[in-house]
Amino acid sequence: MSTVFRTMLIGQFRDPHTLFWTIVTPFVLLLGLGFWFDKPGYAERLLAGVLAVNVLFGPGMVTPFQVMTLRNRGVFKLLRTASLPTSAFITASAGARTALSLVVCACLTAAGCLVFDVRLTLPGLALMLVAVLIGSLCFTAVGFISGNLGRNESATSMISNLICMPMLFASEAFYSLEHAPRWVQIASLLHPFSHFVNVLSDGVRGGWQASTWTSLAALAAFTLLCLSMAAATFRWDNESSRFRILGNR
Amino acid sequence: MANLATRRVLIRASSLVKRYGRRNVVDGISLAVNEGEVLAVIGPNGAGKSTTLELILRLRRPDAGSVEYAEPELRRRIGVQLQTAPIFPGYTALENMRLAAAFHRLRPGDDELLRRLAACGLAEMAHTDAARLSGGQQKRLAIAMALVHDPKLLFLDEPTAALDPRARLEIRELIGSLAKGGTSVVFTSHELDEVHRLADRIVFIDAGRMLAEGSPAALLEQYNVSDLEQLYLRLTQEAPNAVAVQ
Repeated sequence: MSTVFRTMLIGQFRDPHTLFWTIVTPFVLLLGLGFWFDKPGYAERLLAGVLAVNVLFGPGMVTPFQVMTLRNRGVFKLLRTASLPTSAFITASAGARTALSLVVCACLTAAGCLVFDVRLTLPGLALMLVAVLIGSLCFTAVGFISGNLGRNESATSMISNLICMPMLFASEAFYSLEHAPRWVQIASLLHPFSHFVNVLSDGVRGGWQASTWTSLAALAAFTLLCLSMAAATFRWDNESSRFRILGNR
Repeated sequence: MANLATRRVLIRASSLVKRYGRRNVVDGISLAVNEGEVLAVIGPNGAGKSTTLELILRLRRPDAGSVEYAEPELRRRIGVQLQTAPIFPGYTALENMRLAAAFHRLRPGDDELLRRLAACGLAEMAHTDAARLSGGQQKRLAIAMALVHDPKLLFLDEPTAALDPRARLEIRELIGSLAKGGTSVVFTSHELDEVHRLADRIVFIDAGRMLAEGSPAALLEQYNVSDLEQLYLRLTQEAPNAVAVQ
């Protein structure tokens, strides 16, 4: 399992999808929006938002393509004939992605502190770490669901965008939903990303707030739900689905 | 080489049926894979060869019939090369070998993996992204990955398809040397000359049914034909009315 973890971690740095979504995009967002909206208090919101987007785009947008590619290339079939359990392979792959998320989050946090003078506390950092770990697990599961449902690249891209983009827009990652229509505010409670942003924001603002437990519990519940859905939709090849599959072979 | 009749049965498939919709892709096939033999599964495109292999490998669940392995551990001693090369794009050939070894809980050194790549003619491609290898090279990498744990039984689905003549020759030699070393090999192929040279036994499948089975010499004698191509043409012509071999 450690060989899979190590090899997958190294390989991520050569993957253009990963480099774009997980490394380049969050830094461009942080520095671009940070200098553009030079308002008091915005840097903290921005840092929490960018950290959340990093975790969403990494596991949520890159994992689907990897799952679809590995399935279509017969890697999952190969695993079925080998002694390493598929669950161990998936854990090692997800672990490598989480490790990368943690490293990028650490770099983004350091950039936020150094460039925009964001002040963090130890309890706040601990809360951010917990949030990133649970969030990575949750959005890796979301990525698996997209990858499980998509049959080819365009279908997978469409599904992952359909899942991730509404979550991004119906959240307080980069702006407040205080004056948004009521239905948007309600919709923001019905997906994991909003709760993830809330927990990260609490962490950046210094630690546990009154609402932190609620958001953390909601994030954990969504994580369990997404993991269950990922397991239920998982398939070894394109012929073995119990679900409707999008895209041509 | 041991007599075919005295060889131990490693896998026995009985009355396998697999349906996709209303169509029986595999329709009552029974066959045994014996220890130390080279078994060729031949037939036209869409005959059900690959599905039969996947049923035997338990990669698909049959709608009827059963597959029995002589010993439970055998399942972990099987090497598999399916039609699609199961490579990790973005990773080098050497890294793919490392991952394939990890799938079998092995951690061989790079020297060992390089030696195995060289045996499949990929020594110079070890540090090339596997996705950038040609189709034939990817196939050879898939075979090298299938051999990484020294399998007792090797399944190869069209191992020489899309390969140039030299690569085909190398793969044939590799299969021959594995068989000499005692590895059982099951392969599908459209190269009938290759089948004649390599196989101890041939199973002929069409429309999901087994139409003929036996050693190349026995089949040629039974059907009174001079080569496997004639046998192939005759069986595919007769297929609609043929009686499946029980």
